[in-house]
Amino acid sequence: MGEDLLRCDGLRRTFGGRVAVDDVSLHVAAGEIYGLLGPNGAGKTTTIKMICGLLDPDAGSVSVGGRSVERELAVRMLIGYVPQDVALYPDLTARENLGFLGRLYHLRGRELSARVDEALELTDLQSRGGDRVDSFSGGMKRRLNIAAGLLHHPRLLVLDEPTVGVDPQSRHAILERVAEFRRRGMAVLYTTHYMEEAERVCDRVGIIDHGRLIAEGTRRELVDRLGQKDRIELSAEGDLDALAAACRSVAGVEAASVSDGAVQIVVGDGRRLLPEVIEAAEHAGVPVRSVDVVEPDLEAVFLHLTGTALRE
Amino acid sequence: MTVLAIAQASLRRLARDRTALFFLIVLPVVVIVIVGATVRGFSTWKVGVVDLGAGSAGRTLVTALEDTPGIAVSPYPNAKALTKAIARGELNTGVVLPEGMAAAEQAGRTVSVGVVVERANTSMQAAATAVGAVVQAEGARVQAAQFATRQAGGTFTANLSLAKDLEGHLARVEVRTVQAQANASILPEGFSYSAPTELVLFVFLSAIAGGAAIIETRRLGLYERIHAAPVRAGGIIVGEAITYLAIALGQSLLIVAVGALAFGVSWGDPVAAALLLVIWSLVGAGAGMLAGTLFKTPEQAGAIGPVTGIGFGMLGGCMWPLAIVSPVMRDIGHATPHAWAVDAWTALLARGGTVVTILPDLAVLAAFAAGFLVLATLRLRRVLA
Repeated sequence: MGEDLLRCDGLRRTFGGRVAVDDVSLHVAAGEIYGLLGPNGAGKTTTIKMICGLLDPDAGSVSVGGRSVERELAVRMLIGYVPQDVALYPDLTARENLGFLGRLYHLRGRELSARVDEALELTDLQSRGGDRVDSFSGGMKRRLNIAAGLLHHPRLLVLDEPTVGVDPQSRHAILERVAEFRRRGMAVLYTTHYMEEAERVCDRVGIIDHGRLIAEGTRRELVDRLGQKDRIELSAEGDLDALAAACRSVAGVEAASVSDGAVQIVVGDGRRLLPEVIEAAEHAGVPVRSVDVVEPDLEAVFLHLTGTALRE
Repeated sequence: MTVLAIAQASLRRLARDRTALFFLIVLPVVVIVIVGATVRGFSTWKVGVVDLGAGSAGRTLVTALEDTPGIAVSPYPNAKALTKAIARGELNTGVVLPEGMAAAEQAGRTVSVGVVVERANTSMQAAATAVGAVVQAEGARVQAAQFATRQAGGTFTANLSLAKDLEGHLARVEVRTVQAQANASILPEGFSYSAPTELVLFVFLSAIAGGAAIIETRRLGLYERIHAAPVRAGGIIVGEAITYLAIALGQSLLIVAVGALAFGVSWGDPVAAALLLVIWSLVGAGAGMLAGTLFKTPEQAGAIGPVTGIGFGMLGGCMWPLAIVSPVMRDIGHATPHAWAVDAWTALLARGGTVVTILPDLAVLAAFAAGFLVLATLRLRRVLA
């Protein structure tokens, strides 16, 4: 990953005495997807609006590419904002909507036309460019909403809950695209209250609750804070005790025992160690029927940190 | 350029909205035609005639009435039916031709022709005056024939015919009526009345109802998205102002063109009329933008906007001349910009006014426009913040 593209330091914002965001500091590097994870009303959208220059912070600062968002209007050329709700004119076509938004970013003529084509292609909507948005399905509208944020080739893409209310197929397509943006070197700030999305696409996750960033790190780092270990469960035919002994010989395995007709193995990082455990089972001559890696997830981390489940 | 992009997108959306186009283009023209035709109808007096057996003299008088421009004659069977029709407002006035009228004329006796009118109604009084003039003219001929018969002999019929023939050759005392337009406080009748008043009414009304577009843009989250681009709040506001101004100007020009080309309306001094159009469009643009920031939902704008616009139009003299209302209502009416705009059009169309003549009206309208635009800007800034 590259240098930090987005830096937020001590962001604070209140609404009529209610503190919506309190002392939030985070940074996102080029080629990194940063997930801001938290329940509804945690302060994710307020944080994003301050990052995009839509809200002035009461305290703290935001810089993108080393330039202050509050002070320099031109910095917004570096930011692609995809709001939570589909913000497009329903009675205009997809192409007209993108053309209009592109002009706001000073795109003109052939360049604008090429960027519109590119954005439509990137979101698999090239065949529907001439159709009115109100004829689109919810998933297509979401994809077009993202396309609108990509027109001007931003270096930082800010996605505010981009998969809310979409079908699984469209959600998969959107997450695939987000991963593609990372490969292109874009910094992505991704807010969600879907824990599985954060685990799937984000390099690092910040957990926000009641306006405060209460934890931050990779999924592994956050899980490690729980002090819980991963567990590999092997179902096999034959001598299970021999299998357990073979597994115990693998470096990194902390314990292995037979329980409920299967071998239960306690490890630090289940996914990393799994190939070596399988290899040890093969050397022991015990055919493995099924493998299950059970690891503490971000839901458990959130519960541990806040005392409440993420979806509450 | 971003400002123009905002205006262009809004205008493109408007062009796709058939309902909005109906209210912007079709409805004003339809109302101009209806009101223009109705107001023009006031200049024709409907006269009912009851013939109780007047004979040839009665028929002569009816023919004279029918030949008089602005009088439409309808026969009625009896005086009761005639009185009832007048009371219902179906007739402006009525004439009762007495029995034996021809014989009385020939015998040189006094003939009494009844003209029925409702005392309290001024338009009926005017109609009665018009009918009375025809009756008097016919009476003058009869008197001339009776005089000739007495002094020179011959038959009454021959002398009456001679009187009619001579009437065309004798020098007459002509009474020329000059309308004192310099102080006219009412627009001319017909389309010259309806076109300017409907222009004032509809440009404002459409702008207020069009406030729904701002609410819709806000509700869709478009302002937020636009604001996330390198566009200042001022740019968004100017973009919206251009949109509303373009719509108001476009509608104004359409009404002016339809009025002039289809209905022969003369809009007066072109420079003054153009200035008045532009300033009134600014009033509409400001009011429309303000409505967009005051109402919470497009439905509110669609429901309250037209009621407000029509209410202002009524108070401001778009439905009827303020000259016919009480001084108090006239003063209240001038709390709306409509009254000042109608005053200005009246000065231009009824009194041949110029820019100098309507300068006070223009100044007041400019103040209204500035007030609406400033308020709308402040409110829209709050929406965008």
